[in-house]
Amino acid sequence: MAEVTITPASRLWVMRGVFVLLALVVMLFNLMPLETLPRKWAGPDLILVLCIGFTLRRPDYAPPVLVGLVVFMADLLFQRPPGLMAAVTVLACEYLKYRARGLRELPFPVEWLAAGLGVVLVLGGFRLSLSLFLIDTPPLTMTAIRALATILAYPVVVLLLQALLGLRKQGPGDTDSLEFR
Amino acid sequence: MARNRQDEDYVTPLRRLLASVVVLCLIAVFLVWRIDSPRVERFRAQVVDKVVPSFDWAMAPVTATVNILRDFQSYRRIHEQNQELRRELQQMKAWKEAALQLEQENARLLDLNNVRLDPRLTYITGVVMADSGSPFRQSVLLNVGARDGIVDGWAAMDGIGLVGRISGVGSATSRVVLLTDTSSRVPVTVQPSGQRAMLMGDNTVAPHIDFLEDKDLVRPGDRVISSGDGGVFPAGLLVGQVAEDPGGRLRVRLAADYERLEFLRVLRHLGSDPLRDPGGIVGPLLPGHMAEEAATTAETPDG
Repeated sequence: MAEVTITPASRLWVMRGVFVLLALVVMLFNLMPLETLPRKWAGPDLILVLCIGFTLRRPDYAPPVLVGLVVFMADLLFQRPPGLMAAVTVLACEYLKYRARGLRELPFPVEWLAAGLGVVLVLGGFRLSLSLFLIDTPPLTMTAIRALATILAYPVVVLLLQALLGLRKQGPGDTDSLEFR
Repeated sequence: MARNRQDEDYVTPLRRLLASVVVLCLIAVFLVWRIDSPRVERFRAQVVDKVVPSFDWAMAPVTATVNILRDFQSYRRIHEQNQELRRELQQMKAWKEAALQLEQENARLLDLNNVRLDPRLTYITGVVMADSGSPFRQSVLLNVGARDGIVDGWAAMDGIGLVGRISGVGSATSRVVLLTDTSSRVPVTVQPSGQRAMLMGDNTVAPHIDFLEDKDLVRPGDRVISSGDGGVFPAGLLVGQVAEDPGGRLRVRLAADYERLEFLRVLRHLGSDPLRDPGGIVGPLLPGHMAEEAATTAETPDG
């Protein structure tokens, strides 16, 4: 990567931009009118994977304001109740960030477990609040399939991010992030 | 490491405050939406109106590429398809003959009856720009909107059958909620028995029929058309055919080709004039009535 030429501060902002850009690309692909028949299954929620992946690995690249804005945009575009999914995602990400302080040096399976917990929290919390506010919910099997697909997609997405963007877990020796948190 | 921990302690409360402000704002938006849905939905329509057309430059070519790749896959069984098409063409020729005869007959009958077809049922054709983007919602976005005169509640059809209704209009885009969406409810008539029913979308390919008066009069294969009850939809649009699912529930196999929704017609529907008063008694007015009538007409200017 070109870390040598880019100062840490600009790198921070570039990576934040990359996070938003990736989310926009995911939205764009979701919106393409390729599949107008109702489906029996649901694909992974890639925006959620991005949010959790960035939060667990480099929380400074995905601050809560950015996560909230990105998911709120997705709420508006995907015809979901606006704001609810975004609020749940921000809450879950904050919780994961709080826990992730402890698992900074832990191996990947533990990180995956934490991400899975986050996915279940977000989708379960979203569903629960929908039924609390008496909004009709999608079938339970669809939500379950979606959660499973999202958890399975997590390692793939995170490995791709690591290979392409160098998105590693924050080690204690990482100086660039210390000053600009 | 120790310094690091100290920094974190110093920064964390501020960030936690920021995060909670964000969460509270989002929840506030959600609550406003729950209480005053139309206002927020209008905001959503405006956002979609701004955002999606700006995605179009990227979306159109990628969609086209994927569709070409899909078509390419179907070339593998082109011979099979060719045979199939020949057979179908043979059948179609027979049907065409029948249709021509029927058309002539129909024209004769219309002429005989002096029927006037509704001249106001014209349409605007729009291109499908985007779908709902989520497997839980069934809707598409059209590239025509308020500036083309689109109004909420109008019907959208493909060439053959009803596809859905307009729900949410931006200035350059409008959203069509498909019949398969869980929130779609359309009043229909089942022909030939003339039974009234509701078509309820449930996120499956074939929406089910509910509130049917007499289930015994309806058979699989019956034609389903929109009934126009409620005055929102024009009556007589083809919806599909009745089919029975393994559970014994009546469903509708939709006539519109949902697999490829590319161009949709939005029917201009200006509402049908309701009959306001029952017809009065025709004949000469009685003397007593006349006096009353004169009194009421004299009173009305004051009242």
